[in-house]
Amino acid sequence: MTSRLRREDLVRMALRSSLLQATWNYERQQGLGWAWALQPALDRLYPGSLERCERLAEHTAFFNTQPTMASLALGAVAGLEERRAAGEGPDTDGMRRVKSALGSALAALGDRLFWFSLRPFAACVGVLLTLSGSRWGGLGLWLCYNLVHQSLRLWGVGWGYREGPEVLGAALRRRLERLTRLVGQLGSALVGVTIAVLLAPGGDSRPVSFQALLAIGLAAGLVVAHRGRPSPTAWALGAGFVSLAAVWFG
Amino acid sequence: MTFPVLATLLTGGLAALDAVPVAQTLFSQPLVTASVLGWAWGEWRVALEVGVVLQVLAASTQPVGARTPEDYASGGVTGAGLALALASQQSLAIARDGCALVGVLAGMVTALGGVPLVRWQRRRNEALSRWCEAELRRGHEGALAQSHRAAVVLAFAVGVGYSAVSLGLGFWVLRRWVDFESLRLTHAWSVAEPLWLGLGLAQMLHAFVQRRLSRAALFGAALIATWLALMVGAP
Repeated sequence: MTSRLRREDLVRMALRSSLLQATWNYERQQGLGWAWALQPALDRLYPGSLERCERLAEHTAFFNTQPTMASLALGAVAGLEERRAAGEGPDTDGMRRVKSALGSALAALGDRLFWFSLRPFAACVGVLLTLSGSRWGGLGLWLCYNLVHQSLRLWGVGWGYREGPEVLGAALRRRLERLTRLVGQLGSALVGVTIAVLLAPGGDSRPVSFQALLAIGLAAGLVVAHRGRPSPTAWALGAGFVSLAAVWFG
Repeated sequence: MTFPVLATLLTGGLAALDAVPVAQTLFSQPLVTASVLGWAWGEWRVALEVGVVLQVLAASTQPVGARTPEDYASGGVTGAGLALALASQQSLAIARDGCALVGVLAGMVTALGGVPLVRWQRRRNEALSRWCEAELRRGHEGALAQSHRAAVVLAFAVGVGYSAVSLGLGFWVLRRWVDFESLRLTHAWSVAEPLWLGLGLAQMLHAFVQRRLSRAALFGAALIATWLALMVGAP
């Protein structure tokens, strides 16, 4: 089957995927954003307005995955829609099953890579740069994250389109898992470097009181990390008020 | 003072957009917005002090699944903005650390207070998505674009409005307290800052190590090697 979707359609889909979460809600989660991102492909595949609207309405149903990884699913589903428009692809139920399976699999990998590894890693890079005296820590954080995030968002649709529903095959899965592992290892080392820089910035040891309080904070943080509630922010707020009370009444 | 205040509110709106609705580039992270505000107010030290503390605390809040995490987009802007606004009223440089403490506390309160607001927007979007599907089934294709425009405008307006209210309220309530108690607050900052950094870094460490002994060893080796390099390398 010759490809009916053009390169510019895939680029428009990739750009529109930035708004995947614009209408996020508890009922359909990314459903509406998904339909919006897929619209350029449906515009090309279904010249008839009524049929196109029907397909778009179908795609507003529940969908959720990690937003960067959604590009891969978008490309794969655009390929399926192309086959469907030619009378070969899956029906509505089949499409729903493919979306659901892809969404879950991509979320399982994407959450670990982007939310649990890359995001704290980028934050650590930014914090370390700032603690080392640079004003560019914020920019460092932003660049470090977006190098991976925007690349995957822009090229992911093309990958998904070429590979189809098998986009998350063993090769890509292995590559993403290796990247997650690498970021985790580098992140562990980076936290160590950050704490050392905090203890002795520029080779001058901080006062013992600072070092002791940092150690108390670290120990408390490791205990808090194993508990779901109250949230770390609530603990930090409590620590702030305890510090105020200690100075006022101490 | 007009330009920095307007820049702070605009940053609040843009951060609210970036956090969830648009692109998720991490522009909304406290260190990034604090850097922007540091430039706008011409006071980098206070901005980055607040930005670093809020950043290590924000790094462990994850927007996974249907969970509504703390709103550190507004928290970061309010925290750094309030600290900078208060610091601009202080003539003594030492008193500015007290402003940083107040800024971080206000940032955390704003982040926690923003959760119901984010939930309200998400519930509102439910009605929007139902309307959009009905319109599409009626053949009104433009409904998708209209829904997205409405959601983005709402998120921006809520971000600007919430930042404005938090900043205004914080400045009005806390200004006199900071003026009278600046030395005590500065002292409290020297206690709270290492505690907060420790709490936040421990969360990050927990996220990276995930009970793997090799990673814990990597952390320990990096800490000791860097500390030795800093101490031996220092003149």
